[in-house]
Amino acid sequence: MRPRIVLHIFRKDLVETLRDRRTVVMAFVVPALIYPLLFTLLGSVATDKRGELERTQARIGAWGPVPEDTLRAVEQQARAEIVDRRAQPPPEPEAEARRLVTSKKVHVVLLTPPDSSGPSIPVRVLADSTNVDSDAMERRVSRALTEHGAEILRRRMTALGQDAAAATPLDVREDDLADAARRGASFAAALLPYLLLVLVATSGFYAALDLTAGEKERGTLQTLLTAPVRSVEIVAGKYLAVLALTLAATVCNLGSIALTLSRATAAMETGARFSLGLSSAGAIFLTVLPAALLIVALLMAVGVLARSYREGQSYLMPILLLVMVAGFASFLPGAELTPGTALVPLLNVTLLVHDILVGKAGATQVTVVWAVSLAWAVLGILLAARVFQTEQVLLSGEKPWRDVLSPGVRAGRALTPGNALSFAAVLLVLSFYGSALVEPRGGVVALILASQLGFFLVPSLLWCRLFRVPLREALQLRWPTRRGWAATVLLAAGGWSVGAVAWEQLLRFPGARAYSDWLGELLGKQGQLGLGTALLLVALLPAVAEEATFRGVVLAGLRRSGSRWIAVVGSALVFGLFHVNPYHVLAATAVGLLLGWVALESGSILPGMLIHLVNNGAQVLFDRIPGLGDRLQSPWVLALALSSTAAGLLLVRRSRRPAPEEPPGPAPVSLASP
Amino acid sequence: MIEARGLSKRYGEVVAASDVSFTVSTGEVVGLLGPNGAGKTTVLRMLAGVLTPTSGEVRVAGHGTEGEAFQLKRALGFLTGDTALYQRLTPREVLRYFGRLHDIPEAALAPRIEALVARFRLTEFADRQCGKLSAGQKQRANIARAFIHDPPALILDEPTTALDVVTGRFLLGAFREARAAGKAILLSTHVLGDAEALCDRVILLHRGRVLDQGTIAEVCARAGARTLTDAFLARVGDEVAA
Repeated sequence: MRPRIVLHIFRKDLVETLRDRRTVVMAFVVPALIYPLLFTLLGSVATDKRGELERTQARIGAWGPVPEDTLRAVEQQARAEIVDRRAQPPPEPEAEARRLVTSKKVHVVLLTPPDSSGPSIPVRVLADSTNVDSDAMERRVSRALTEHGAEILRRRMTALGQDAAAATPLDVREDDLADAARRGASFAAALLPYLLLVLVATSGFYAALDLTAGEKERGTLQTLLTAPVRSVEIVAGKYLAVLALTLAATVCNLGSIALTLSRATAAMETGARFSLGLSSAGAIFLTVLPAALLIVALLMAVGVLARSYREGQSYLMPILLLVMVAGFASFLPGAELTPGTALVPLLNVTLLVHDILVGKAGATQVTVVWAVSLAWAVLGILLAARVFQTEQVLLSGEKPWRDVLSPGVRAGRALTPGNALSFAAVLLVLSFYGSALVEPRGGVVALILASQLGFFLVPSLLWCRLFRVPLREALQLRWPTRRGWAATVLLAAGGWSVGAVAWEQLLRFPGARAYSDWLGELLGKQGQLGLGTALLLVALLPAVAEEATFRGVVLAGLRRSGSRWIAVVGSALVFGLFHVNPYHVLAATAVGLLLGWVALESGSILPGMLIHLVNNGAQVLFDRIPGLGDRLQSPWVLALALSSTAAGLLLVRRSRRPAPEEPPGPAPVSLASP
Repeated sequence: MIEARGLSKRYGEVVAASDVSFTVSTGEVVGLLGPNGAGKTTVLRMLAGVLTPTSGEVRVAGHGTEGEAFQLKRALGFLTGDTALYQRLTPREVLRYFGRLHDIPEAALAPRIEALVARFRLTEFADRQCGKLSAGQKQRANIARAFIHDPPALILDEPTTALDVVTGRFLLGAFREARAAGKAILLSTHVLGDAEALCDRVILLHRGRVLDQGTIAEVCARAGARTLTDAFLARVGDEVAA
């Protein structure tokens, strides 16, 4: 894949999309107008209605021997007028009361059965809860009755020579612990996740439709296919254009919703206040990002199956409905983010956005949902890429799904970028749920063994076998050149400094310090593991298993994208993502960049294994030998180590052996290649 | 320059093209003639590297589709009759876009675009969105797009369909100029008058198979007809009757 060609396609598609008035109106203008209008209109209607009810005199029916003083009290305290006074209740009082409420002759009927007497008189309040006016007046009348009842009780107590206060043995008062901001957040948390997901889908809907089915219908997709471009470049450019538009629309919408909710809650009588801070908005955006990646991929993959714009609308509608159902979860009471719901695409994002808004989400939850969502997004993107590589789909074939699902274009005897990312997605799910099962039962040692062997090394070997890729090729099992070894020695001597420097910077954040302490414990600082065991588990095993996985299978697949940068950065990001904790992700990504570059340039996995071994081993020793870490991490030693690393990186460039067996890149025009 | 060797394309039981072979040499215009559903578009798509043949081989300027598809596409200009242009881009933007996809350096691209704008008389509407152009203006912009990388071979699929006489004649003139400049042109058309006026040789295609090929005189002689239309009807009519 050539980034400059992807950029040309992206720019052209974005320009064309932004010139489509319908797309721009649907993505930016409508949402910008609809929230303020909707909330203003609804708020205005609600306020008007509330005012009208407050001003309106309650019309009351009083049937049977309702005490006269009670009626006077209701008239005064509930601002009511007795409009239907009957000494005897009708034979079917409920039906008659319903008829009168429906015909708006009364709001509420007070009913006392005939022959009621004694110290306790039954009074039924007949009202229709489905009628707004009747419901509101029922609350007003009931409140008046309760207060009147309390007043009678006080009078009776006084008459009996008792303290009137004894009539109120418990003076109950309700105080809401949630402050205005939390009440506002709770209100927003019910609405915002749903709105955000639906907005992402609707923002991308027309753009995806236009750039897939629309282009097919207009015949421009075929014109594009006659140019020297790969189908993967076409899908990447189009995907990025739709994604950019979707994300831009999402940001605008998020701002619009936040401002509207802020004003709407300020106008509410509940005392709730909502304001979306920059950090929360950023966290929500980052949470929605992988959901947007998945939704856009699905819209593209399904949209291109359609042969016309109209057909595309029918095809894409179910995706919109799915998104709405997932978003609806935020309205459901009791729906929570659990390890189970974290696996469900889109639903997990809805629940996490909810938790972020109410302040319940922690860094681990965010990372897990992000990682799982990203894995789903990768699968969605792979699906889109596969659909775009099916020539009959792009040329408006009769049965597009049959062609997509047929094994005709399936890769064989070589790992591809899609294949590598699928592998990473499978491993991510496997290691996440596998760890959750192993950790509580087996402890740290079992967890490391299971992770390194069960989640990394064995799956990597099986994957190569499944796709009939020789291990020597996939894992780059080659002896480096002398220059490669020299570079390896320099990098092993100084490479640990990259992680150390990155880690030192990250420790400025409080969350990273807590994580570092936990990691120190894991490494045996607290005496859980012996030094040899710690070195075996934390240094040797990861050096072999993780290198085979990330600089082996993943890098081998990404290399066939045709871009060295995509291969190195992609494999580093995947490597980083597996370290779950956000701080560790950053440090591991930095180390992954170094190891990926070395593997690519040396043409061998062995230098990376040695550097990884020394790097992790150094971390164990830093924690075990008092003062060693401080001595080695002094500015002079770090400078020396970084210099050694820089020299190693320079030396490792083009140090690989000439490899006649090196697999060629993918055929440049994939539609025409077998 | 353009070579098809035993090209076949099957969709399950349906045979869209069967053992199609022909060549188009430098400075030659060859007409690919056939009724609707004859397989012309399938053959052209295989030649353009858009569709993978079930069997057979394609070569354009010496390049095949396997491993050399980029070189093949760079040697080809492809034009269809359904005026497939981006509705919300201007002709100048379309030319720039395809120039970039063909990796033409920016410094060379601007003068190249201006030369094509002048040559195909696009000046008046070069900065108007394609969706607002007439069919003739779109097709002139489209042929400029096919020429943007100055390919040695052209594949033209019904290029004059639905065009008025003036624009049709303008395009035929442009194709003659291209032939004079040494380009190899494969022209698929329903308009047999265009084929008679322009083609050095013709290929009669029906039900995915080549019925006959040669100069117009040779094809007419073999069919016992005086005109290409009579020859076409005689051969295709025979097939339909059979």
